[in-house]
Amino acid sequence: MIPGVSDPVAAVEAARLCKIYDGKNVIDNLSLTIPVGGVFGLLGPNGAGKTTLMKIMAGLVRPTVGTLTIFGEDAVARKSDMKCKVGLAPQDNNMERELSVEETLTVYGRMFGVPQLKRRVEETIEEFSLGDMRRKVVRTLSGGMMRRALIARTLMPKPELLLLDEPTVGLDPDVRHEIWEIIRNLASAGKTIVLTTHYMDEAEKLCEKIAILKAGRLAFLDTPEGIRNRFGGVDSNGEALETLFIQLAKEGRT
Amino acid sequence: MGWVAIYRREMLILTKKIGNMGYVFSTAISPFIYLFAFGLGLGDRVKVEGGYLPFLVSGIIGITVMMNSFQQTSSSVSVGKLYFHTFQSVVLSPVGNAAVVLGIVMAGVVRGLFFGALIFVMAWLFFGAGVLGSTGIVGMILGALCFSAMGTVVGLLVKHPDDVSLVNNFFITPMTFFGGSFFPLQNLPAWLGTIAGLFPIGSLNLLIRSSGWNGDSLAAAGILAGLTGIFFYWSVWLYSRYSE
Repeated sequence: MIPGVSDPVAAVEAARLCKIYDGKNVIDNLSLTIPVGGVFGLLGPNGAGKTTLMKIMAGLVRPTVGTLTIFGEDAVARKSDMKCKVGLAPQDNNMERELSVEETLTVYGRMFGVPQLKRRVEETIEEFSLGDMRRKVVRTLSGGMMRRALIARTLMPKPELLLLDEPTVGLDPDVRHEIWEIIRNLASAGKTIVLTTHYMDEAEKLCEKIAILKAGRLAFLDTPEGIRNRFGGVDSNGEALETLFIQLAKEGRT
Repeated sequence: MGWVAIYRREMLILTKKIGNMGYVFSTAISPFIYLFAFGLGLGDRVKVEGGYLPFLVSGIIGITVMMNSFQQTSSSVSVGKLYFHTFQSVVLSPVGNAAVVLGIVMAGVVRGLFFGALIFVMAWLFFGAGVLGSTGIVGMILGALCFSAMGTVVGLLVKHPDDVSLVNNFFITPMTFFGGSFFPLQNLPAWLGTIAGLFPIGSLNLLIRSSGWNGDSLAAAGILAGLTGIFFYWSVWLYSRYSE
């Protein structure tokens, strides 16, 4: 058995995954299992390989070596039905700047062959309270609005696995809480969510399991409770996780 | 029918640009300047069978089709891939490789034909250009397909936004000036004329200027169709290996 890989029915199962850019191992022999359902946190310092791992899971980056299965199917082959099961809301806005929010949802839904497209667009607009901005052009949206529209677009084809790369970075506290609410609702609806974040409190509050990557490797994997038991802290304020994070960072420097 | 979804995406983005009259004007101004500058400046001096102006008009229609088809696809893919990352949404979609390329190429064809037709209308209004025959229409369609597919290859190949200008400088600009658009290839030294004769713009110009179907026009159509096939499959191959 490969360390880190144990669950026979997992949302994501990476085994000995490597991604090499210009001779540098950005993902280095990584084996990891992400269970079905709930929120899974991927943490790590800048350059740890979080975004690359998210992109590999989404099919934007091909791993150099290793295997990756999503819901038991080979994800590297990028088959069409697999792409419908995975949704990525990347760190930076990748929506067309000159399209309105409504057009963005329609175009994306059409590419995914979403049935009853008009109805689904209306549902999504209502679900994400995008009514006021439906005709606004993407480039005119505020950071929070853009993030909400991006997550809404990702959910148009109803993916089972949702990858959120830094979903609340640079947002005001009230908008962060709004996004957290969306994430919690999605998790309650049975979606599997993988999120990367630099906010320790966010990870502790939202995630059922947390993996910390370091230099492309799995450095730590536990539940928030497990982390609190080992590193102190009584509340989900991210204190224990921050202690662990700093400790791991220091280990690398010594 | 996944290609329709990609085509409609590209067309929606394109119509937003075309809706801006500044964009249409700036795109149409270069060929129009060529038409005036070369038409007025060289009109009497270049001896061509049938007159220089009809020769020049057809050459500029060819250039317009080439540039617009090529630029539509090369910039849509390269800018979307390297700068705004909007191409990610296409890669994330379940649309098949060939369907993605077909959708992108068809949008390039529409832009090439739209601006080619616009220049033709302007030339007809201002210079009394003659009506295009079936070879000219087929040539414009095949030329748009060929350069649109070529632009897709370039868009997928480039690793840096500036690389597109390299292709423009080393392939598109030489084809513009040495492809038989402004003067007959026979005016060039024999060795250069032979090289220039291999440019696809030469085949496009030949078809636009051809008075009917004959051996030369059929060969030119064959070259454009063959190159379209090569560029199309090359694009599909590149897209199937896409990785950031």
